[in-house]
Amino acid sequence: MAKHNIPEVKADLENTTGIWGMAIDQDLCTGCQACVAACAMENNIAFVGETDAGYGRSLHWLRIEHAFEGEFPEVQTSGFQPVLCQQCGNAPCEPVCPVFASVHSQAQDLNLQVYNRCVGTRYCANNCPYVARVFNMRDYDRPEPLSNQLNPDVTVRRRGIMEKCTFCIQRIHKVEDQAKSEGREVLDGEMQPACAQACPADAIIFGRLDDPESRVSKLAKTGRGSQLFEDLGTLPRVTYLKEEKDYGRLG
Amino acid sequence: MTDKNMLLAVFSDLDPAAHAVEKLRELGLGDEHLNVISGIPITEAMMGRPHQWTNVPRLALGGALGGFLLGAYLAFVTPTTYPLNVGGQPVIPGPPSVVVLFELTMLGMLISTFVGVFLDSRFPSYTPKEYVPEISDGRIAILIECDPAQEVAIESAMTALGAESVKHAEAQTL
Amino acid sequence: MAVLANSATHAHTSEQDHEAHLREEHLMLDPRPRGEMNAMVMESMQTTSWKFWVAAGIMAILVAVCLFYYWGYMIANGLGVAGVNRPIYWGIFLVNTVFWIGISHAGTFVSALLRVFKAEFRRPFTRAAELMTTFGLVQAGLSIFMHMGRVWLSYWLAPYPNQRGLWPNFHSPLAWDFLAINTYLLSSTMYLFLPLIPDLAMARDRSTGWRKTLYRILALGFRGTEGEWTHLRFAMNLFAFAILPVMFSVHTIVSWDFAAAMRPGWSSTIFGPYFVIGALQSGLSAVAMVLIVVRATMKNMKYFIRPEHLDGLGKLMLIISMSWAYFFFNDYMVQWYNGDKWTDALLHFHEEGPLGWMWYAMLIFNVAVPWLTLWNKNWRRNPTLLFTVGLLVNIAMWFERYIIVPTSLSINRFPFTYQFYKPGVEIPLTIGTISFFILLYMLASRLIPLVPVWEVQEGQMAHSLRKFGKETVVTVSDLE
Repeated sequence: MAKHNIPEVKADLENTTGIWGMAIDQDLCTGCQACVAACAMENNIAFVGETDAGYGRSLHWLRIEHAFEGEFPEVQTSGFQPVLCQQCGNAPCEPVCPVFASVHSQAQDLNLQVYNRCVGTRYCANNCPYVARVFNMRDYDRPEPLSNQLNPDVTVRRRGIMEKCTFCIQRIHKVEDQAKSEGREVLDGEMQPACAQACPADAIIFGRLDDPESRVSKLAKTGRGSQLFEDLGTLPRVTYLKEEKDYGRLG
Repeated sequence: MTDKNMLLAVFSDLDPAAHAVEKLRELGLGDEHLNVISGIPITEAMMGRPHQWTNVPRLALGGALGGFLLGAYLAFVTPTTYPLNVGGQPVIPGPPSVVVLFELTMLGMLISTFVGVFLDSRFPSYTPKEYVPEISDGRIAILIECDPAQEVAIESAMTALGAESVKHAEAQTL
Repeated sequence: MAVLANSATHAHTSEQDHEAHLREEHLMLDPRPRGEMNAMVMESMQTTSWKFWVAAGIMAILVAVCLFYYWGYMIANGLGVAGVNRPIYWGIFLVNTVFWIGISHAGTFVSALLRVFKAEFRRPFTRAAELMTTFGLVQAGLSIFMHMGRVWLSYWLAPYPNQRGLWPNFHSPLAWDFLAINTYLLSSTMYLFLPLIPDLAMARDRSTGWRKTLYRILALGFRGTEGEWTHLRFAMNLFAFAILPVMFSVHTIVSWDFAAAMRPGWSSTIFGPYFVIGALQSGLSAVAMVLIVVRATMKNMKYFIRPEHLDGLGKLMLIISMSWAYFFFNDYMVQWYNGDKWTDALLHFHEEGPLGWMWYAMLIFNVAVPWLTLWNKNWRRNPTLLFTVGLLVNIAMWFERYIIVPTSLSINRFPFTYQFYKPGVEIPLTIGTISFFILLYMLASRLIPLVPVWEVQEGQMAHSLRKFGKETVVTVSDLE
């Protein structure tokens, strides 16, 4: 069994940096949704159709938040904010699952969702302050030729199962295995989740947080960095980068 | 048992029945030869009968202990068979363990109390027994185990005290 | 002198009137021979009219269609046919679960708490209330299973040894729920059965045919010997004391499902007692409603269930309504005061959102209606009025849970994800659980003696009238 490095007091958790992490540069994000599409391709995310999507049942693990305020033409918009599972170091979704379907990985310090174990109580989703979890309400069709597009490295989920962003853990494993077979450490930038790979503006940066020299660690430490709802004590592993000013937008 | 007779004296009221118990004792019948059957719970003190022994409290206590141990197994042992980190909480959580211990202790106690009633009263038993249906109409019956020689004396004494009927008790299918 | 003499005779007759009035008023002072009461209960149980069978038939059809067909349809197609979405992951199924667990609390409360405190007016209707506990819990259990995404794997919640070495996660309030609700269901069923044994023996002694066989098996060979009564009495006493903390724990744990989550509006430390009181609020009203229906529709029940019982229940309902208002305000006040912007948004959404009418209806039916009506003795004793109040309170308590579950889930920390909740297949399934409850209750009312006759007779033995000077008063002897 894996050794458990659970600190005795929660405050000690705050000293842990996490292992894998992400920085999202909101000043670079153009809201093009390429990451959303790439994520869906990579992770076999089902397409729920217009009606269900309009009713808030789309299964995207990553959403680009974009708010409008005011009446046309005096419309103010917020920036674009991609929101995905924050892979909390102290995750509220984990302890509430009665069957251990939502657990913490020791090796990657990520939140895992065990599809086979999930019985669909949906408690984890209610307890997620980031609304990052999505639920398979039905068995969705994959008409030809979409059925040929499935990624063999990722489980196809059936109805009644909770799912969420995994930081493309299948890619993490691949990279780790490759590095291990070559007898070296994983190089910075070697591992890219689908969203980061697809981002034309290079707004999503992924890497090791426990390596102070990695690009993501350095970016996270700049003055532009902040985390979502830091006050909740969930210890997100995603850092949002944003200047005080809004570039190229009204207001 | 073959040389003993079973008599069933049926009374319609509490007071004569209590007197009858006293009279039977005077006639030399020990408490172990009598049994009172009634349609409502009447206490032993009302009938002047010795206190009834019941194992249910002990069984309940034993069940509570068993439930507690099962709860302790669930709360303290099962998490270690497959330790998983959830939300930075300890593998064996403190306050939630109290909940598990409480529920299983109560469950153990209540189930063993229920089972205790079955064990102590020998439920279920569908063998024929000495009984008359009037008992559930509120009559009080005294089941008397006596020598055939005493039978006449007992019968007249019971009738004198106001028994509605005194007869040989026949085991019947309830 | 003439005046004095006149007043003396007047006093004399009024005294007799008073005594007669007391006997008419209180079942415990109006004893009838046990045989007669047995016959009345047996008759009430065996009498069915065509109306009964029509009602039972309609309920059976509703159960078959609304509960079984639609549930099967939902299992086959997934929860998409229900109204849940993101972020409203919990909908009416959880509302119904909390609602039915609340209904189930009344049985235990009436039966156990009133037994512990020797409240004598409980005697004729403890069983009617206990039946509600068991049947209410059945509906709560069904609602939980409906709610689950993969109900066919629900046995994974149970702690059982398995090859994986993987047991349920006891960190989760849902795992506590599983233990607590099972404990409660088992213990309340046992608590229903124990005092039923002597009545089943009574029914066995005076029935024939298939009923005889049924009661013979269920009565377990009970005769009423000293030993049997002693064991039974001890067990019932222990159950009455022990089931109360279990009852409190069940609804507290249900409240922790919400309170343990880090959500605006849910994360409240007072949810435990607030939910327990809410459960009693709906449960007691439901007991009153059931008693009124039983009294009106079943033969001979007007003897056993009298206005004094409605009066007693009405008083309890009023007290519980006041307690509910106290806890509600306590919760609201602290939520309002803490000034968290999401909580503030939620409170505004409750009151001014599209379901604001529900919030106001909850307060009116839960607080204003009972307070304005139940203070009056004559109104409490009026079956139609008490039934209406009970119905309104139950609707209000269902609204309260609706506000706590789907309405509160509409609001989270990401305005981008706000959604509304439109129930789908939840509506027939709700009708299905209500019909199933009514059907089970109707069948049970004709299969088991609904009045614990031996308890009534015991109570009548213990009660008598005694004169203090010129006043005739009711005295109760403590038989145990």
